[in-house]
Amino acid sequence: MALSTTVSQRKMIRRKAPLGFLKRVFKRQKPHLRLKTSSDLLVHLNCLLFVHRLAEESRINACGSKCGIIKKEHVLAAAKVILKKSRG
Amino acid sequence: MADNFSPDSEPTTRTLLRRVLDTADPRTPRRARSTRSGAQRDLLETPSTRRQRSQTKMTARRRSHTAASVDRLARIQASGHLEEQTPRTLLKNIILTAPESSIVKPEAVVKLVPSPQVVQHTRRESSRGSLELQLPELEPPTTLAPGLLAPGRRKQRLRLSEFQQGMDWGHLSQEPRENADASSLTSSLNLTFAMPLQPQSVKRPGLARRPPTRRVVDVGTFLQDLRDTSLAVAPPDTVLEDTQPFSQPLAGHSPSVHHSLPCPSPSGAKEVEGPASRRTWSSGPGLQNNRPGKPAQLLARKVEEVEALAVGFPNISSISGEDGVEPLQNGVGEEAEESMEESMSVREVEKAAEEQGSARAEEPEGHTEVAEAAGSLGSIEAKEPEGSSEDEDPSGRLASPKLAPSTPEFLRTRRLQSPEPAPPPSTAVLPSELPKRLSARIPPRPRIPGSRPRQDPYKAGLNHYAKLFSFYAKMPMEKKAVEMVEKCLDKYFQHLCDDLEVFAAHAGRKTVSPEDLELLLRRQGLVSDQVSLHVLVERHLPLEYRQLLIPCAFSGNSVFPTQ
Repeated sequence: MALSTTVSQRKMIRRKAPLGFLKRVFKRQKPHLRLKTSSDLLVHLNCLLFVHRLAEESRINACGSKCGIIKKEHVLAAAKVILKKSRG
Repeated sequence: MADNFSPDSEPTTRTLLRRVLDTADPRTPRRARSTRSGAQRDLLETPSTRRQRSQTKMTARRRSHTAASVDRLARIQASGHLEEQTPRTLLKNIILTAPESSIVKPEAVVKLVPSPQVVQHTRRESSRGSLELQLPELEPPTTLAPGLLAPGRRKQRLRLSEFQQGMDWGHLSQEPRENADASSLTSSLNLTFAMPLQPQSVKRPGLARRPPTRRVVDVGTFLQDLRDTSLAVAPPDTVLEDTQPFSQPLAGHSPSVHHSLPCPSPSGAKEVEGPASRRTWSSGPGLQNNRPGKPAQLLARKVEEVEALAVGFPNISSISGEDGVEPLQNGVGEEAEESMEESMSVREVEKAAEEQGSARAEEPEGHTEVAEAAGSLGSIEAKEPEGSSEDEDPSGRLASPKLAPSTPEFLRTRRLQSPEPAPPPSTAVLPSELPKRLSARIPPRPRIPGSRPRQDPYKAGLNHYAKLFSFYAKMPMEKKAVEMVEKCLDKYFQHLCDDLEVFAAHAGRKTVSPEDLELLLRRQGLVSDQVSLHVLVERHLPLEYRQLLIPCAFSGNSVFPTQ
């Protein structure tokens, strides 16, 4: 009941989470499973954090090779590390 | 209030009615509310007195009715603004208690009050009465056995009808009675909501609620359209579904269409081209609306219709003048089978039609109708307008050779049958035009290559995160790097789904819950004893999502989201 009174004014969320996309991806991968409403947002949070870590690592790699531009190999190396970390 | 009415012969009913009339009727917005404000106060006071009176007079059955109404009245009085129900209950009580006396009296009341408002009052009264009539019908199910209900309802209906007849409320009275007789209470309930409009429309009986007049389907034009469009399966259905008047221009052709696959002479067809093409344009958007939801239904109906008409839609491929006509005529029966083929042929036809620009008057008409039915013809439809201006027969025939290879089955079967020279040119053109129109209109088609619609939204979603990557990196990136990021995201999603499945299975669940997500974040090292999940939520998510995730205490001793 409270949320309705507080969020009613602002319906436009600037950084919208692609919840539909996430749900669709999950359904494609695991059609026999379901996703709860709140977990949708947490999955988005997880993706954000993953991308954040990936970007950090790529930046470090690029700066390490004294490049002003992030190149494919930087991203590749970063992905190897971060994917291993994010395996859970 | 009292001013309007002269001394009442029956104080109970009359005063009640008067008060009811005077009270504001929310359902009749035309009534001036200012006059009623004073009456409302009275109304609030009178229900109690009326209730007492009614209760004493009512039978046991009625008491049960009033019990519910009393409760309602009590509630209403508490709320203070639901006068509309009190008058209704009051009227109902009135009708139950003193049916014989006051029913015809309203006329006297009308005379007493010369202003037209009285008429409105009375009408509203009766409307309310009819409304109330339905009310008791609704109540009994909850309070009384159905057996008791039926006789009561009938009596109420009779009394009300008497009342209404007394009011000289010809058609209006019949409506509520008919509605009341409706078998389902829900129908009567629906009627109650619609009833308030009646008083307003009494003055203009022509505007009274009446069954929607359905446009009679012009069989001739329909047949012609069917024939013209080579789209066998979907088009016929859409013709039935289509409510747009684009088939009207075909009226001129209908007589000829009736007997056979009538194809008006090319000259006649060309005359219609102009309007027909316009209609196709207009039907386009309508088709788009209709098509997504209807292709299946339309196909079924259309098949039947087309079969009757012996119009072969699938003959789009066989656009060749006479040859196309033959298949069109006979294609009806096979429409259902050829839906897929149609889509293919439609596309080809569309190409052929494009090149030739054949514009046949009949075909556009048929296309508009058929297009709606045939989802696969969307692409063809788009190209139809282009071809409207050009020659019909030769272009149609030229199109057929191209279409022939695509749909050999149709052509062979169709060509074997007896052709009708007249229809062929028009029909040939129409099928080509229709497919173009349809194909352009219906993007979400049930087609075999389903990979493309899957890729685009998937890529769009990945793009979203790739942009976030470039934002977080704060450095310029190569295009290849972005593609690499998307690949990584793809792998990541796979891992994510697997992990969530394992966690949910570990908890014995088939639904992934936020607990699983928290466990995942913990295992990833993002959530630790120092950093909690809520901290991460606060850092990275916008306010709206934060509010959904982090429980917060609100006023009234409530916590959202509930835990």
